[in-house]
Amino acid sequence: MRNSRYLLYGLILITLLTLPLYTGVYLLNVMDIILMYMALALSWDMLLRSGQISFGMAGLFGVGGYAAVLLHLNAGMNPIISIVLGGLAAGALAWLIGVAVLQLRGMYFAIVTLALAEIFRVIVRNLPDLTGGPEGTVLPSAIFAGNSIKTYWLVLGVAVVSVIASEIFGRTRIHFALTSIRNDEVVAKSSGIDVFKYLVFIFMVTSAIQGLTGGAYAHIYGFVSPEGSFSVDFTLLPIAMALLGGMHSTWGPVVGAVLLGVASEFLKLQIPYGHLLVYGLIIVIAILFFPQGIVGTLGQRLKKTGKA
Amino acid sequence: MSLFSRLKQRNYQIAIISLILVVILGFWKPHVLVEGLQRACLYAVIALPMALILGIVGIINLAHGEYMMLGAYFAYCLNVYVGMDPLVAIIPALIAFFLIGIISYRAIIKYVLGAPELNQLLLTFGLAMVLEQMANLIWTSRPIKLPLKYVSASATIGSFTFGTYEFIYVGAAMIVLVGLQLFLKKTSMGQAALAVGQNPRGAKLVGIHVDRTYLLIFSLSIALVGAFGAIFMTRHSIFPLVGAPFTMKSFCLIAMAGIGNLMGILWCSLILGLAENFVLSFRGYAGWADILFFALIVCVIIVRSRQRQVK
Repeated sequence: MRNSRYLLYGLILITLLTLPLYTGVYLLNVMDIILMYMALALSWDMLLRSGQISFGMAGLFGVGGYAAVLLHLNAGMNPIISIVLGGLAAGALAWLIGVAVLQLRGMYFAIVTLALAEIFRVIVRNLPDLTGGPEGTVLPSAIFAGNSIKTYWLVLGVAVVSVIASEIFGRTRIHFALTSIRNDEVVAKSSGIDVFKYLVFIFMVTSAIQGLTGGAYAHIYGFVSPEGSFSVDFTLLPIAMALLGGMHSTWGPVVGAVLLGVASEFLKLQIPYGHLLVYGLIIVIAILFFPQGIVGTLGQRLKKTGKA
Repeated sequence: MSLFSRLKQRNYQIAIISLILVVILGFWKPHVLVEGLQRACLYAVIALPMALILGIVGIINLAHGEYMMLGAYFAYCLNVYVGMDPLVAIIPALIAFFLIGIISYRAIIKYVLGAPELNQLLLTFGLAMVLEQMANLIWTSRPIKLPLKYVSASATIGSFTFGTYEFIYVGAAMIVLVGLQLFLKKTSMGQAALAVGQNPRGAKLVGIHVDRTYLLIFSLSIALVGAFGAIFMTRHSIFPLVGAPFTMKSFCLIAMAGIGNLMGILWCSLILGLAENFVLSFRGYAGWADILFFALIVCVIIVRSRQRQVK
């Protein structure tokens, strides 16, 4: 059973790695978008497993992007290293915020993260010497000189990192710690779990993944700007994906990201100025009618039929 | 010395210090004082209904600012198609948003009342996005401003000129605050609402219709904030994202004042309003005013968590 599962994972990975052999540039670009949103959705879900909700993806995503681009331009760093450092910068920032704020949880934490994108946007706009101000900064050339196959591998790497992180969080003792914090903080505390430390740690890790994705995004498209890098898209879409697919698992956000990522290409053409409306509706409907998401609901169905 | 009198003494000290600061500010930068007061009341009017919902229904409504944005567009449409003045449009807006509040509660909010806080946050976040994007589809993201003559009224004392129209915010804040206090303390419906806010199960046991109270309070709050949208749009240009910062600033005020403390919101909004205008008055640094509320939230959270640990 276990061997066949690993075989399946291997097959999927090989198919994804060799995808550029059988497809064109357009599909690769679509895959880039899907994989990036997948990483964001997974990182959001990982924090959600601890019972804390973050609306700050766009903020940390933008910070990662800015850090990567500025390090590359000002310090002349290799793009890949600058992307990694961008992720670390977002993680360090998240550590600071987490230490300050995570003592009070729930809605306090949620609103602080909700404000993050706006705050970083203001900061970036007000430091024109460093960040280029309201116009943003344009890179002389995109990463790998715009080679779509190498770009795809880079994004795939980010997505694989987030899947592996999510699986580690789902299989080790961290999983039990997070689940018990989510279910009952008092019980978790009395079983010897340092709730605060775990929450800060996971907020840091998920933010680093978001920063990493942001850095990759910034290098692939070759520019950062206050409006583009901190756009609400990067908060709204991953949440809609994770909710549609199903919370608290690795496969939920992955399935959601694939479904909505394909759908979003279509929606952008159909309703160019209001396609975000659909994602808002998906969030509302998912919470009201199937909080378990597609994967969770299907899983329950299968279990029921299996028993009967 | 008993704890009570010590507390009282401390309150007097705080009051005297802040009075001295305000007087200094008044001589140094009088426009900061006047405009800060106006801005503070603008924040207070928007935060009060949100505090009411959070205190009694127990839901943090992340779509709060979006309802105000819709109210502003509602007044704009009445002005364009019927020729109604936005200030007259307050009355139809009150009625319309009371109905919208009822619909929102019955169709959406009701179903997450018993759900975990996480679901409530996600739901109202989704709702905010839906309302924002709906406005974006209908009215586009272009900022709109009505050319109204009376909003630029001003007065001059000595060499100091300030806008007088913005005192409408002060009036609105007073009306809403006093009205809500009277409603909650004097009417049986308001007392019932307070009881529900304190303990829903206990209120149910003594025969209060909890669901109906929730419905009333939610719709009333939406009506207030929607109607305020009509006042808001006379002075400010409106666009679909105009409400979002107010949601966060309102929460900042509520967190500072403590949940259920309506009067405290006024004082906290004074702090925020004066501080923001103080920063705005320095040329070259005005852009930083928008992060003050965030700094305040973080400070409040740090202080609150310290207090909790000491306990």
